[in-house]
Amino acid sequence: MTIRGSSITATLDRLILLAMLAIVAAILTAAMAMQYALGEIPCPLCLLQRAAMFGCCFGLILQLRLRGSERGTGLALVFALLLLVISVRQTLLDIYPRPGHDYIGSAVFGLHLPVWSAIIAVALLLGLAVRLALFGGGPVTKSGDDELPRALVQPLVIYVVAICAINFLSVLAQCGLGQCHTFGYRLIQ
Amino acid sequence: MMAAVFATLLLAFILDQVGLSRLAVSCLLLSLALGVGLFLWEVYSPDYGFRMPWLQL
Repeated sequence: MTIRGSSITATLDRLILLAMLAIVAAILTAAMAMQYALGEIPCPLCLLQRAAMFGCCFGLILQLRLRGSERGTGLALVFALLLLVISVRQTLLDIYPRPGHDYIGSAVFGLHLPVWSAIIAVALLLGLAVRLALFGGGPVTKSGDDELPRALVQPLVIYVVAICAINFLSVLAQCGLGQCHTFGYRLIQ
Repeated sequence: MMAAVFATLLLAFILDQVGLSRLAVSCLLLSLALGVGLFLWEVYSPDYGFRMPWLQL
């Protein structure tokens, strides 16, 4: 592959990472919109699923910066796997109707949020695997050749950090320093 | 505990943004460990343990 060809491939790789980051950020924003606009207070497992998605975001942000290393992808894969485990466990807890065990929150397009989480986790795992299969271990380009414009990346990174901060404050309001419940915001009552 | 998970996550993001990557990854791994611990604590039931007897496999 020519130097120009490898530079285009590396740029495409970073564009895919950026698109994955944007999609996960949009999903987290939608979850927050459901929480604040529709008053659906997240359960503890729902909050852990959000934390796993933020972990994926961290891995993707790290990978956007790295050259010649797949450490960010590895971190994103670990958190995608955690997201899958938590969401499948929650789905299995609520899949069989029992007293006191209903899906929390409303359904979106006929599926409840833990089921969507499981689908998102599989999509992330698949996306990262396909990315590694297509671009992993490729030639290292000259520093800066494959750099995406900072104006494209940095606002999204700042947005992810901002929604992480909002989620932290929201968790503090809902759970305080103790156990989380879906009855209301502990610190506001 | 949940607050600690999100606090370490936020700290990881902030440390990464100021250029302390190794410390940021350490914070992220701490958040992962806290998250896994909290998940196991949340799904453990005194009656069933980690089993789900309502599911027939």
